[in-house]
Amino acid sequence: MRFLKRLHSTEPTALRMLDLAYLVILLPLLLIIKLPMLLYTLLVFALLFMGKKPTMATQVTVALVGLVAIYLSLYGAFNFTGLSRLSLFVELLVYLLILAVTLQRLTRQINFYLIVSPILLMALSLFFFHSITMLLYVVFEIFILLWLILAWRMQGSFRETLRMAALYFVASLPWVILLFIFFPRISFEHASYGFRGDTVRRMGHDGTMYLDNKALLVPSNRIVMEVGFEGKKIPPDSALYFRGSVLYTDKKNHWEPLPEKVLKGHKPDYQTVNDFIVYKVTLYPTQKRWLYLLDLPFEAPEGASIDADFVTTLKKKIEEPQHYEATSVLKYRYGKKLLPEVREAATRFDPSRNPRSYALAQTIAEHYPDISKRADAVTAFFREQNLTYSLRPEPLDLNHTTDSFLLDKRTGYCVHFAAAFVTFARMAGIPARVVTGYKGDAVNSVENYLIVKERDAHAWAEILVDGSWRRIETTAFAKTIAEDTRRLLLGDSRGSKERTFLEKVDLYLMYAKYQVETWILHYSHFRQMQLLDEIKKSPTFLLKFLAVLLAVILLSIAVVLYLRRPPCSDRVLCMMRPMIEALRKKGCVRREGETMHAFLTRCHGELSSSCGIEMIDRLYESIRYGGEISEKRGKELREAIRRCVREIK
Amino acid sequence: MPDGSKMHFFRTLARTRKRVRQRATRFSLLVVVLLFGLFLEAYMHNFNLVYITLFFIFATAFSAGAFGLLNIGRLEVTFDHCERLFAGLEGRCFFRIVNPADTTAWAIRLHCDERVVEVGRIDAHRTVRAALNITPQKRGQLRCASCSLQSLFPLSTVRFVLAFDRCLDTLVYPKPEGEALQAFLMRQKSAFGDEKDFDGLRSYSGAESLSRIHWPSVAKGEPAVKSFEYEGRMEKLEFDFYRAGENDEARLSQLCLWVLECERLGEPFAIRMPQKRLYSEREGIDAILETLALY
Repeated sequence: MRFLKRLHSTEPTALRMLDLAYLVILLPLLLIIKLPMLLYTLLVFALLFMGKKPTMATQVTVALVGLVAIYLSLYGAFNFTGLSRLSLFVELLVYLLILAVTLQRLTRQINFYLIVSPILLMALSLFFFHSITMLLYVVFEIFILLWLILAWRMQGSFRETLRMAALYFVASLPWVILLFIFFPRISFEHASYGFRGDTVRRMGHDGTMYLDNKALLVPSNRIVMEVGFEGKKIPPDSALYFRGSVLYTDKKNHWEPLPEKVLKGHKPDYQTVNDFIVYKVTLYPTQKRWLYLLDLPFEAPEGASIDADFVTTLKKKIEEPQHYEATSVLKYRYGKKLLPEVREAATRFDPSRNPRSYALAQTIAEHYPDISKRADAVTAFFREQNLTYSLRPEPLDLNHTTDSFLLDKRTGYCVHFAAAFVTFARMAGIPARVVTGYKGDAVNSVENYLIVKERDAHAWAEILVDGSWRRIETTAFAKTIAEDTRRLLLGDSRGSKERTFLEKVDLYLMYAKYQVETWILHYSHFRQMQLLDEIKKSPTFLLKFLAVLLAVILLSIAVVLYLRRPPCSDRVLCMMRPMIEALRKKGCVRREGETMHAFLTRCHGELSSSCGIEMIDRLYESIRYGGEISEKRGKELREAIRRCVREIK
Repeated sequence: MPDGSKMHFFRTLARTRKRVRQRATRFSLLVVVLLFGLFLEAYMHNFNLVYITLFFIFATAFSAGAFGLLNIGRLEVTFDHCERLFAGLEGRCFFRIVNPADTTAWAIRLHCDERVVEVGRIDAHRTVRAALNITPQKRGQLRCASCSLQSLFPLSTVRFVLAFDRCLDTLVYPKPEGEALQAFLMRQKSAFGDEKDFDGLRSYSGAESLSRIHWPSVAKGEPAVKSFEYEGRMEKLEFDFYRAGENDEARLSQLCLWVLECERLGEPFAIRMPQKRLYSEREGIDAILETLALY
């Protein structure tokens, strides 16, 4: 029961304060340390709770258990290839530090490294976490550590030390903000070095396009990427196509891209580019290699490569969030220098698989020798087919997919529309291909921020007309949307894309999170330069920026001055405080042990202006000792003091 | 916030900065090392959370200067008085520390040379009296080379030192030791009356020998001691410096002891010093003790 008694005691000893510091600092680390080390930590906690001073034998045993726990925790993790070494090294450091600290703590002797280790553990924990939650927790940790240091030094009450910590914290804030904004950064982005990433795999795009039941995915709201555009607005809805893969080969139940070697080494062929747009993307782990860029990417982000079809990929699978900056062009022409293999693949079809569609395509081709008019005729033909957009279509006949979709079932979603259109266009003599990726929805945007979800996965077509590729939104050919799909897409039967209040709140929270991530977690040399450029370019922005900084500084000074004075515990004395202060400024200082009456009488004699001091004295005495503690009396006293103070000034 | 109070704040800060010296402690070295380590971690890998931690540590360490100055800078210290200090015996000296500021002063210590008194907190507009325990090694004038108020508030990274001018300045009297006055009187021919001549009872002062205690009175609850004629009706006491001991220090210690005993008994006395005679009724006890201290 002794340890329960000890728990009950709240006396703020130095050891207790250190324990609290370690508790706060170790909490995030407990999430990453391996099970053996976790068990070891729990063992030490148990020993500490028992409160018995360990013998030398116990200490040696605990040390041995600790070493074994470290060995077991790191067993099999020794991988000296790549940058994962750093994570291993940091993990080892954390374990050694925990071992040293726990052994020292068991002795109940405070030494120098027991005092400094919380901050070291905190610095090491920052290697492992990089999220808004951790940002908030770090600020909390800093506050708690500051409070504990002050409490140790001040030996004051809980309230006093907390007030002082708050004061100190607020006083430091303007410096932190100024340093954070202006402290020079170097150019490269945040390095994760193989630390824990997000293991959830995002779906929607995987480089192939299935037409059978594998394609029947339930639309999910999981976020695939967040995009922040330069400027204040996002591009129009019709331009929010994020390019993933380009598919050429019809394999009956799915479409495939060309083999990698065909396009490898060939650079994109831009003819004319216009309307540049710069944006930053946060792409969550997809376990795939694609980076999704807005059509048409102008250049590959750092570390990625771009092929002749403007498909952007990384060398490794994306297992942790990627943050990249990209530039795209919204108005473009390209496709003149087409590789022979690409041209061949973009025109290849098997007329025997879809004979009815082939016959129709041939008719169109004969009627429209001009390729541009023929393309218009093909799109017009699709519009006339009374197609229905449905996420739960009836299965197609996979041996005759185009005939089955276009002429029999007439229902499907993006993949069916795109596949049928591309095949039909090829049969009509127009080179065509399928492009898959994501189609952003402006409904999921706030200002310049756009969320792309798994449900935004999309497929569309590209046809080669007059020497350049032209994007065709094939789902636009649908005349109707199936009722179940409408409900599925909109979440209820409202039948419109209008958002509910909660959805709006959710979106704005995401926007706030994105801003915090952009301007705090991923603030970099790039952002800094961007900010400084904006300051240089726009005097209005400069003024706003300075005004905000000034407001922060003034606010923190005001809070500091407010918190500096100890809070008033006596109501009547609190009322008298301005009076005493005003008299002090006039040279009449209250002596130690002097009663209020004696003080006021003395001041009345010393000062040339009486300003109703007698009345204040009378009111004070009646409230203090006469039992007249009504609100009215208090008001009278306050009013008299206000008048007097004004007069004295 | 009125402009006046802002300016007042900065004026106070500027004024106190001149009064207070700042000395780095080993914790400031730790802060520097920590800042450097965090800087490497943050700068090399662009860890913004580390940057935030780094800047917070820097900002708090930086602000510690202003907070520490304001904490101690407005305090006023004056040397109050000392109890009678005797060489080799512990005594106390008192200082008055006034906090005229509107805020509490925290973690204050009073330093006089090597001696330290933990004062702790001093509330706003309050005065505290700090007692410094002193064990002087030798008689004579006692002066502290340096007296100061010190504080490690807020972060222990800087020691704020507020030195004050009117430092400890007092006399240390010789260590009172040697033959007890009673024993001396026994040896004196001038002692009047016989030891056995009972003279009455007087109240017990706590210093008398056990053999003198009148136990029946103690039993009644009014402790008293027996008084004898030779004690009460003695002739005027005269102590001779040269006969008081073997060397000067022993003589001074002996005389000091007798002076204190005579003072307690209320007996007038005279001391024959090498150059002069000291009369307790004329000079006063303090002056005699001062002569002994400065001999």
